[in-house]
Order: sequence, then structure tokens, then C-alpha cells
Amino acid sequence: MRFFSALIAFLAAPVQAEELTVVTWGGAYEAAQQQAIFAPFTEATGIDVITARYDGSLAALKARAADEGWDVIDMLEPTAISACDAGLLAQLDHAALTEGPADFAPAKLRECSLPQNVFATVMAYDPDAYPGIKPTSIADFFDTTRFPGKRAIRKSPDDILEWALLSEGVPPAQVYDLLSTDRGLRLAFRKLDQIREHIIWWQDAAEPPRLLTEGRASMASGYNGRFFAAQQSGQALSVVWDGRIIGHEVWSIAKGTDAPKAARAFIRFATRPDSMARLSERIPYGPARQSALPRIGLQPGTGIPMRDHLPNAPQHGPNYLVRDSLWHSHTADLRKRRFEAWLARGGDGG
Amino acid sequence: MVADELDPAPEVAPPAQRMLILTLCALGIGGAASLAAIALIEAVEWLNRVLLIAPRARVQYEDARMIVPLATVCVPAIGGLIVALMLRYLSPLGRPLGPPAVIQSVQFETPLPDLRSGLTSTLAAMVSMGFGASVGQYGPMVYLGAMLGGVVRRLRLGVPNLPAIAVACGVAAAISTAFNAPIAGLVFAHEVVLRHYSTQAFAPTTISAVTGYVLANVIFERPALFLVQFEGVQHGHEFLLFGALGVLCAGLAIVFMRLVLRMTAMAGQMGIPQMLRPAAAGLALGLTALWLPDVLGVGKEALRFATIEDAFGAGELAVLVAAKIALTALCIGFGFAGGVFSPALLIGILFGALFWTAIDGTGALSTSGIAVYAICGMMALTSPVIGAPLTTILIVFELTRNYDITIAAMVSVVVSNLIAHRVFGRSLFDVQLARAGADLSAGRDRARLQAMPVSTCLTGDIIVATQDIPVDEIHARLDSSPWSEAYLTNSDGRFAGVLSRSARTPHVPSLQFHDGTTVLEAMQALRGFIGDAIPVIHRDTGKLIGVVSEASVIEAYLDISQSLRREENAVL
Repeated sequence: MRFFSALIAFLAAPVQAEELTVVTWGGAYEAAQQQAIFAPFTEATGIDVITARYDGSLAALKARAADEGWDVIDMLEPTAISACDAGLLAQLDHAALTEGPADFAPAKLRECSLPQNVFATVMAYDPDAYPGIKPTSIADFFDTTRFPGKRAIRKSPDDILEWALLSEGVPPAQVYDLLSTDRGLRLAFRKLDQIREHIIWWQDAAEPPRLLTEGRASMASGYNGRFFAAQQSGQALSVVWDGRIIGHEVWSIAKGTDAPKAARAFIRFATRPDSMARLSERIPYGPARQSALPRIGLQPGTGIPMRDHLPNAPQHGPNYLVRDSLWHSHTADLRKRRFEAWLARGGDGG
Repeated sequence: MVADELDPAPEVAPPAQRMLILTLCALGIGGAASLAAIALIEAVEWLNRVLLIAPRARVQYEDARMIVPLATVCVPAIGGLIVALMLRYLSPLGRPLGPPAVIQSVQFETPLPDLRSGLTSTLAAMVSMGFGASVGQYGPMVYLGAMLGGVVRRLRLGVPNLPAIAVACGVAAAISTAFNAPIAGLVFAHEVVLRHYSTQAFAPTTISAVTGYVLANVIFERPALFLVQFEGVQHGHEFLLFGALGVLCAGLAIVFMRLVLRMTAMAGQMGIPQMLRPAAAGLALGLTALWLPDVLGVGKEALRFATIEDAFGAGELAVLVAAKIALTALCIGFGFAGGVFSPALLIGILFGALFWTAIDGTGALSTSGIAVYAICGMMALTSPVIGAPLTTILIVFELTRNYDITIAAMVSVVVSNLIAHRVFGRSLFDVQLARAGADLSAGRDRARLQAMPVSTCLTGDIIVATQDIPVDEIHARLDSSPWSEAYLTNSDGRFAGVLSRSARTPHVPSLQFHDGTTVLEAMQALRGFIGDAIPVIHRDTGKLIGVVSEASVIEAYLDISQSLRREENAVL
């Protein structure tokens, strides 16, 4: 590791006093990045990190990247794929950026992006709603007979179609193959029909924990980070990890960057196992590298053992689905069309 | 038998060396067959993706209106044309090869067809499946494994029975890799290919099967074909339903196999040039797939959907079963290269799902859900087609790792197998072989006796004379020999009768063999025969080929029994 720091110092030396604009999401997430990655990076290399915030959209990238001098961008993988296809991102030489590509599995090293952390869509429930038998599997989300109550679901075809098939016992490896067929989509929408009467739609990721704690919903889909934050603020809700859908947050370099060398040095630094572990100790996003998992300890300040709250921690069981970003970005229109038809018709989603 | 001690097998290496050779062969063939099988699957999957056969590739072009329908119609037809060209110009045999050729080679101790035909057949199968034809992957994989094992025949390693064992090793590794099921691979090699259990063959095939499993599962981490969640059979009466499903599956399997044979026979009479036949089948498949996309290719998605309640309506299931049967028979009959194993799995699982839907629809009987019926149907239909009840039961066990579902499947499989064997034959492969003149239905020994012409065991130094030689002279020659009969020919070598020591005029013998008479027929004809020997006459020209004595027919019979007994009881 000393060698590695020296290497980074050496590589960074000619770009000393440079500034690097890193674009990210703000909030607790950015605060954690600041402590875990940005500050240590500046300390190690002398390169100042200036942060900018965006809404994660391709439109923002198109409109602002050149004018504001964006260098490194924190992106959702599907957006990075689309941006890469649109020629907005620089191609990455993965061999030069990381020493262990296999370490990133099951995440994929794509043309313009390197995975950094792992988040998940999970189901959570209000423990007061189920004082007896608790929901434990994704099938329970669709079982309103055994587990009555409202379901809070994001108003989007993302994730819920996958859950519909997972709840039918389809192994994760086959979910996208089946959803690629008309029959699979019809099956998923028929499954949704079973809970149609019980759905409360949400659009803002902050809503699901609130809906649960206010008792307006008994179960909800949502992001594991949001549920964790709600739990930390003392709200009673339980997370079910079965059937979690894992997505990847990636680092990319803007095509028009004026500091490509510093940008690469930053990504190299940020994707080191110890950098990833520092981030995962602060927020419940899992490290994209397997070798970072054992390094994760307690959250500074609170002393919470963070490994229990990470989507890719092995103790949460093998029934998880890694979101296929490529499939998602190529089927976005189709799924949107079918989802809206289903919403409008109130029928079979056909 | 005294003969065993008197007549040891020739050029046998010492036991330690034999053990080493067998182990190395098993490892080498197992590894090679497994890698080849994985490569074949990968190549097919790649083709399916690129050619928009796989749903996951098709869905991404959903918005481009014409691309998917165009690919659906054209790709299988083009694939058919390529297959026809390959078989016509690259393969000396000019036809695809599969398990029947493997069975024949092992059962009759003959070499497999030439390597070039084998390789072309494998490539043609890759193209067939890659371009979406409704044919299976396991037949070609079995042949590929056998072909790699067959290479060992060329080396003279001093291990008795090695060629057959090596072929079986390749087959075991291929099946083990294909299903992630080493026990099923091992059993398949015995049940279908070797057809006997000897320690000498069992150990190497096991090693090969495990090698295949390790490569597929541990090193390449290939996903299992099938995973099913099942809570167990909840009602006793369901076992009767599993049995009934077996009966129906037997019927459907017979229909399927008869149709495959019929299509093959009919293909030649339909006036379509041979070069265009696979393309015609491909076109029919493509047009059907416009309306019923599930019939394209191997159908992994449909396989999964069949285990999910409500994924299909009853009508859809019935149509799909019929379409898949007809199109698979058409594709195979019209010359696509590929097997019947995986189409049988798909037809069976859909039929099992249909059976459950019907039972569930009546509401009269409670059931444990669709999955167990789908799997019972899958295996009960496949078992009679490939003639391997034990293998199919074990495949269920190894794929699902579920004891309950295995026991349920066992009931359906044995019922189905019993009926189909009685009505149709041991398997499609065996019936195909029997129609090609290699009937194994009455056992290995009988098949070998049947395959051996009597002209291979002619008796030496008999007395042959032409008709113009005086009778006294012939009698003199008989007197100075142990024989009591001389065989007469006319001037151009045609058989003209038998002259016995006590007669002055020749007579026509009551018993004559011709060049096509088999040892088995000779054995049966010899009952009650009295005399020295039987003349063997060329069927067309009437020329005397030689004579065969009762003793040499019996000797040939004993040789065959002895070699089979040696093989079946060999330890090393």
C-alpha cells in the first residue's frame, strides 16, 4: 500500500496545485464522500477537489459539463452507459486504473465507467403492522392475504417488474431473460394486478420511510440508504433483504475534461479497497470490490457495525438480483410504454 | 469356460500401466469433452444473441419495427441453407451424426464415422441451434464428447475395451457438463452407450463425469439449467396423478418419435431438393415463430415459464406442445443437425403444465402446485425418447437437489418408460439403429451375432472340385481327408452341389447360406442339421464363397459371448 501511495504521489506530482471538479449528488452521501475520499485524496496528492451537484440526469450532463468544467462524475450505471453511447464520457483503460478487475464481480467494468459502490432497492415493513408472523421474502410483498396492508411502490417500471418475477420463484439469473419476452412482461403485470388495489405510488425516494412510519403503508419498496437513515433517526421499520435489487454507482470521466491525468489518479484512489471501506463505514453503500468488505468496521461516531447494513454483505443471503443496466437502458421505452398502459387500463397490462 | 484360460486377450499391458492409462484417458477426455461442450454452448448463445434469436437480444430492437420479424423469418431459413451446404460439401457422410452412431460404435466395437464428418456435424449443429432451429443441444454434445473419446482408438495402449470406455468417458463428461449433473452423466454413459456395468468402465467414466462437473461448475461457474423451489408433495393421491401423467407422456412421446421417423422418411418424397430442405423447415419455423415466438431455438424461457402458474393459458400450452412436436420433427426430418433431447424436455414440461392446468381447472383434486407436474412431465416424456429412465430421474435430482420432486418424477418416468418401450421400442435412437440394420432390442450378444456375417467364419481346407473332375478322383481325395463331403462348382465357380463319400452323384444340400447370412441365422438354421458343413453361396452370382462347419459357427458364437463376458466383468 505504501508503494501505491508513492505511485499516486509520483503520478500526481506534475499536476500539483491542479483542481479537480468532481460531480456528485449532495446530502449525506457527499458528506461521506468528502470524509472518506475527497479529503484523503487531496492529502495524498495535493490536488484540490471542488464538488458540483447534479440530479443524475443525462440532460444535466449535456447541458452543464462543458461550461462548468466537470472532470469526474459520480453516476448511476445505466446513465453512464447511455452517456457513453452518446459520446459524453471518456473511455477508460481499466488495466491502468485497477490492479484487480475480477475483484469487482458481479459488477462489470464498462467502457466508460468503473464501479464504486453498491446500493439496493429493498422492501421494508412497519413492524407494528405484522406483530405475529413477519414478512421474510419478496413473495410476501405480493401476498396480501397473509400480509394485508398498503404497499408503497415507486411509480416506475424499474424494479417492480423484477420483483414480480422473483416472487414467482424465478432465479435471479433468469429474470431478465424472462422479462425480455412478451409472456414475461404479461406475467409480471398480472402479478401486479394482484396488489393493484393496495398500491400507494411514491416518486420521491424520501417518501417510503415516511409512509411506513406514518402508518399509511405496511410495506414499501425503497432504497436501503434511506431506510437506514430512517432507522438511525429512531423510526421503527424493518428491512427484508430477500429479493433485493442491487445497482451500481460508478465513476466516469467527462469527455471534455481538462485534467485527465488528475481524473484518472482520482478514480484510482477512490476505487482502492481502503477508500471504498472508508465510505461504507459512513453510509450504507456497499463497496464495489469484494476485497473491501472485510475491511469495513464500525461507523465513526455511532459505533454501528456497518457491514450488517450493506446490500452486498454475504449474510443477507443469495437471493438478490444485480440490476442489468444495459438491459435497463435498452428497454426503457418499452417498459415505460407497457407500464403506462397498465396504469391507464387497469386491465392486464397486455 | 476353459477357453478363457486357453485364449488370453492379446497384447495386454500390466495392471499398473492399465490403471494409469485409464485414469489419464478419463481425465484427458473428460476435460476435453467438457471444454468442447462449454464452447459449443457459448457459441450457440453468442449466435442466438447476434442473430436476434434470444429474447434478451430481441427485446432491445422492439422499437425498430421490422428488424425482429425479419430476423425471425429469415434467420432459421438462412441457417438451414448453411447447414445443407456444410453437410453437402464438407462432410463425407453428408448427414448429421448423433447418439445412434455413438451407440452403434460402442455396441459393435466399430470405429465412429470419420473425424471430418463428425466435426462437420458438430459445426452444423452449432449453426442449426445458433440460427434458432427447433433442435436440441445434447445430442451434438454427446457426439462431440464421443468423438473426442474416439481418438483414443487410434492409439494402441494395450488396454482391453479401451475404445468403448473412452467413448463412454466423452459422453459422460458432455452430459455432466451440460446439466451440471455428474451422476446423471455417469449413468447416461452406462444406460445408453455402454449398456453394461463393469468396474473397468465405471471408474473412468466416473472420473470423466466429475472432471466435466468441476470444469463446468467450479471453474467456469456455469449456471444450472434449472432451479425449482418445491415444498414437497402434499397429498397421497397425487402419486396416482404422477402415474397417469406418465401414461399420457408415453403416448405423446410415441407420437413425437413416430413423427420424427415419419418426417425423415417423408422428406425424400416431397419433391424439395435436398439442398433446400433444411431451409424450408427453417422458413416454416420462422413463420410459426412470428405468432408463437416460444418455438424458436432451445426455449430456455419457455422451460421456466412452464413451472409458473398462470404464465400460459391451457389453450396456449396445447398449441405450443403441438407446434413444438411438429416443428422439431420437421427440423430433424428435413436435415437440420441437432438432437431430440432438449426439445423433448420442453415438450414434456409444457405438457406437464397442461396436465396440471387441466386437473386444477376441474377443482376436484387438490395438488401441490404446477412445478412438480411440469417436471414430472418433462422427464416422463424425455425418458422414452432417449431410453434412459435412470438418467432422467438423476437429472431431476441433481438439477433440483430436491428429494420430493425426484420421487414424484420417478413414478411418472417408470410408467412412461414401460409403456413406450413395450409399444414403440427402447428409445428413438434404438429404433433408428434397428431401421438401419443394427437391432439392439434383444440384447448386445444377439445384436453382435446378427451383425456378424457367417462368411467371416469359413472353414479352411475343404475339398472343392469342379464338376468335370471324375467322381472316383474326388472320392479318393475324400478318403485321404477327414471330410465326408466334397463341394462341386461348375467351370465359372458357381456352386453345383455336394458329393458325399457314399454317393456317385452329387445332391443339392438341404441347407445353404449366402453372403448375407448372419451368425445368428446360421445358429438357428443349424438346429437338427447333420453333415460336415454348409456351403456359403454368393447371393447374386451363385458362386461358392466357401463352407462353414457347425463347429466354426459355434466357435464364432462362443467368441462373441466370451468377449462380451470379458468386457462386462473386467476389473481393469
